[in-house]
Amino acid sequence: MAQQLAVFASLNQVALVKRALHREGVHVEMLRTPRCLSHTGCSFALRCSTEAIALLEEVCRKWKIEVGGIFADTQDSSPELDNVLLDE
Amino acid sequence: MIYLDNAATSWPKPPGVARAMSNALTSGMGNPGRTSHRLSMDAALMVQECRENLAQLFAIANPLRICFTSNATEALNLAIKGVLSPGDHVICSSMEHNSVWRPLVALEERSVELTVVEADPNGITDVASIERSIKVNTKVIAVLHASNVNGAIQPVAEIGRIARERGIAMLVDAAQTAGSIPIDVEAMHVDLLAFPGHKGLLGPQGTGGLFVNERVNLRPLKEGGTGSDSNSPHQPLYYPDKLESGTLNVPGIAGLNQSVRYLLQKSVAQIARREATLTRRLLAGLMKIDGVTVYGPPAEMPRAAVVSFNLRCMDPVIVANELERRGDIACRPGWHCAALAHRTQGTQDTGTVRLSPGSFTKMTEIETVLGIVAELAAEHQA
Repeated sequence: MAQQLAVFASLNQVALVKRALHREGVHVEMLRTPRCLSHTGCSFALRCSTEAIALLEEVCRKWKIEVGGIFADTQDSSPELDNVLLDE
Repeated sequence: MIYLDNAATSWPKPPGVARAMSNALTSGMGNPGRTSHRLSMDAALMVQECRENLAQLFAIANPLRICFTSNATEALNLAIKGVLSPGDHVICSSMEHNSVWRPLVALEERSVELTVVEADPNGITDVASIERSIKVNTKVIAVLHASNVNGAIQPVAEIGRIARERGIAMLVDAAQTAGSIPIDVEAMHVDLLAFPGHKGLLGPQGTGGLFVNERVNLRPLKEGGTGSDSNSPHQPLYYPDKLESGTLNVPGIAGLNQSVRYLLQKSVAQIARREATLTRRLLAGLMKIDGVTVYGPPAEMPRAAVVSFNLRCMDPVIVANELERRGDIACRPGWHCAALAHRTQGTQDTGTVRLSPGSFTKMTEIETVLGIVAELAAEHQA
C-alpha cells in the first residue's frame, strides 16, 4: 500500500492529528521528519496511507494546523531518494 | 486528618493519579517533542490527551491553545507580561491574589497604567464600576473567578461580555474554581484562563496552564528549546510551542491527565453542588456560634468552597493550631497571599482562619470542625 509522509512543524500538532485520525479509525505512525524534508531543523511527521490523506487534511483545516508538505514515502529506502511533493 | 485546606492544594487526590505519575517514572516517559522513540511519542500523546481533556472541561475549541505551566502564578505572569506593554492600561478588582496584583504593580513601575476597582466589603466587584474604568488604552481586564479569601464569585461572564464588546482581553484567574465550578470560556467570553492543576483539578503540585484565545497574541515569558523549528534563532509562532520552552513536567501532567479524566467522569457540576452543600452547612454552623465573624457574601449567595472567619480577638494562627491539636484539622490562617482582598473586607490587620472543603470532604467532618470551633468559642468568651 502506498504510504505518504505528512510533515508538521511540531510534535504537538502531530499528536493532535494522530489522535483525531485514530478516533476516525485511521492508524498513522508518528516519526521524526527525515532530514531531507525538514528544512527548519527538528520537526515531526505522520506516515499514513494515501487514502488517509484527505481525512488528514480535513483534520488539519479544522484545527488550523499548517502541513509542511505531503511526500511519497517508499519505506524501502530513504524518502530522500523519493521525496515527490504531492501537495504543498 | 480532616483536610480543609483545599484552597491551597487539594488532598486527597482521585484514584489513579499517583499510579499515573508512578508509571510515568517507572515504566518510562520520554521527553515529548525531542525525539521519536516510543517513550517520547507515548509522552507526547499523553500530553496531548491531557490538553484535550482540559479543553473539554473548559469548553475550549482548540486544545493547542492550552499551554502547560508549573502553576497558576506562572500562567498569570505569562498572560499579564505577555500582553501588556508600556502605555497600556489594565483593570483588576480589589480581590485579586498577589499572583495578579504583584505582576501588575511590577508593570505599573514600568509605565503600565493600573486601575484597581474596589469590590464591596463582601468581595463582589461591581460590573458598572469596571465598565466606568475602561479607557481608550485599556488592554486587559483581569479578574479572579472566585476569591481565595472568602469565596466570593465575581460576575465574570458579565465583565467578559463588556470586555469582548470593547475589544479588551479578559483574563480570568481560575485558581479557586477550575475543577470546582463549571467554566465555559466561550459563554464567559474569557480570552485568557489561568488555572492550577493541583487545586480543584485534583492533580499534582507543579502543574497548571493557560488558555490563550486566538483573539490574543502573547509574547512568551521564556524562550528556548521546543523541539520544533530548532534551526531558527526565533521562538516558533504557533501554539503551544510558542509559550512552552523547556522540558514539560511529564509525570505531573500524567497525574493531571488522570485527575481531569476523573472530573469529566464525575462532572464538575456535581462536584460543585456537593461542595456548595458542605459550604452552606459550614457557614450556617459558624454563624450560629457566638463570637464568630464570618466574612464574604451572605450565605444564600453562591460562593466557592472557601470560608474565612475570625473568633473574637483570637489570633487566627492560634485558632488554626488549636483546630489541628484538638481535631487534627488542617486549615490556613493568615493573609492567604491576598493583601488587597483582606483590605477590601477589612481584615488587613488580623488576617482570618480559612476553611476550604474539597471534593472528598465529608459532612461528618464539617460537623466535627463546627463542634471544635464552638468549644473554642465557649472557652474564650469575652
